[in-house]
Amino acid sequence: MSNVLELCGVSYEYSPKTPFATAALRGVDLAFREGGITGVIGHTGSGKSTLVQMLNGLLRPTEGRVLLRGRDIWEKPKEITGVRFRVGLVMQYPEHQLFDATVSADIGFGPRNMGLSPEEIEARVREAAAFVGIGEELFEKSPFDLSGGQRRRVAIAGVIAMRPEVLILDEPSAGLDPRGRREILTGLWEYGKKSGTTVILVSHSMEDMAHYCDDVVVMNNGSVYMTGSVSEVFSRAEELEAIGLDVPEVAKIAARLRRRGIPLSGDLYTVESVKEALLRALRGEAES
Amino acid sequence: MRDVTLGQYFHASSLLHRLDPRIKILSAILLIVGLFSATSLWCYAFLTALVLLLAAISGIPLRMILKSVRPLCFVLVFTSLIAAFMTKGDGDPFFSFLLFSRLRIEMYPEGLIRAALLSLRILLLVIATGLFLTYTTTPTSLTDALERLLHPLTYLKIPVYDFAMMMTIALRFVPTLMEETDRIMCAQKARGADFSSGSLFRRIRALVPIIIPLFVSSFRRAVELATAMECRCYRGGAGRTRLRTMRCRPADWLFLAVAAVCLAAVFVGNAYLPEPSFMRGVL
Repeated sequence: MSNVLELCGVSYEYSPKTPFATAALRGVDLAFREGGITGVIGHTGSGKSTLVQMLNGLLRPTEGRVLLRGRDIWEKPKEITGVRFRVGLVMQYPEHQLFDATVSADIGFGPRNMGLSPEEIEARVREAAAFVGIGEELFEKSPFDLSGGQRRRVAIAGVIAMRPEVLILDEPSAGLDPRGRREILTGLWEYGKKSGTTVILVSHSMEDMAHYCDDVVVMNNGSVYMTGSVSEVFSRAEELEAIGLDVPEVAKIAARLRRRGIPLSGDLYTVESVKEALLRALRGEAES
Repeated sequence: MRDVTLGQYFHASSLLHRLDPRIKILSAILLIVGLFSATSLWCYAFLTALVLLLAAISGIPLRMILKSVRPLCFVLVFTSLIAAFMTKGDGDPFFSFLLFSRLRIEMYPEGLIRAALLSLRILLLVIATGLFLTYTTTPTSLTDALERLLHPLTYLKIPVYDFAMMMTIALRFVPTLMEETDRIMCAQKARGADFSSGSLFRRIRALVPIIIPLFVSSFRRAVELATAMECRCYRGGAGRTRLRTMRCRPADWLFLAVAAVCLAAVFVGNAYLPEPSFMRGVL
């Protein structure tokens, strides 16, 4: 499968050449493949947020190159806005970016900046709102009258409305209750599958990764610590624990059950898969 | 947005850092008075040496000090030009010509000296106040000290305490607001907002998507802060004690005394030191 986004030896330093200079990324090589949902995980300060701001050109690497479909996004710095339309980034707490008088106008801000026709903007606003579950009865409301979860979804719709080839979300479920989390993440998962958009999800919840992602990138201290499919990454639990990250609780339970001699098969890191494996094991015992 | 040095505390443990902030404010005032009353070249030399000495003992890297002076360049150039052209001297002008056949533009040597001294005065002023107040004193202790110094005004029913609290809060939230602006700008840029091209009107309009979220979050923050303060039983200044009481040690008084002596020296120098001949009629 081909790679949509690639980072080649990317380093980034905040406030370079001052006493406050801090390296946020050190020589990162990374590729995001077409179509999948990739999770980026790591501790606070591990460089996750810096990494995603590299991908759409909000930050310019101090060293190295960022390739979008094989082309350096900084080839023509004046056309960086075009890159931002193709690589949509939803920042942390995106509900704080809402500003327009109505929900539909706010979702349409991106498409308007793209210079689309009013009909096209209208169509995209409807489509994006439908994806995140914002009903049309809310279109004429002020975004400031909505609930926190709704505001977040409006903000996400504002980026989806640009129909980016890659959709990046920085902690989209932070600060939401479990139900809100599930709704948003399931919505994004469905959006990724239906539209074929490559989705990159930053989170520090291992459970979220296990549920919604195909691949995982583990960041630590400004470099890529580990990368691979979800099952590959979660099978290296000791290495994850070495940098203070945890595998999902159910994966730990499954591992301990195995150690007790209960024959569980398959990749076990979601509640469903463990349940299935347990049932299989129990049935197997009953038969024998 | 992140690289704003003006008004940034630089952590170190020099003599200036350890000085009582009230003494620092008073010394800064004395130094400013000295700068503005200096009329003799000797006094300027003395004050320059004094500020350099302060810079040396403050432990602030020279680069940081120079960086804080950089935004002043425009002011310096502007005042220098005005001073250079508007000063009339006794001798012959360097050059003179007629602008629009009406306005005579002339430049005298006195004008140049005056421009240089004015620039020096502004530079010393900014560097000295920076050394005393912003680089070596945290904003909180600065407002604390101001409140203490202005305390007598409470007898005139001026709510000094509340002003000090407002100032503390305002100062506290400057960096937060900067960060917030940064973040919102990034979020709107990610949606294709363009802040750096187009006509002036377009650029002003492009700020709307930043200003509105900034206002909204500021109000939200204000409400949250007020609630948090009330939860901790804040009722204004009456009867509140302090975590950190300021106490002047002998060294602090000594520093103030030295500052006062320096000011006196400036006055004496103005009155009695002989002036070089080229300085006549300049100041």
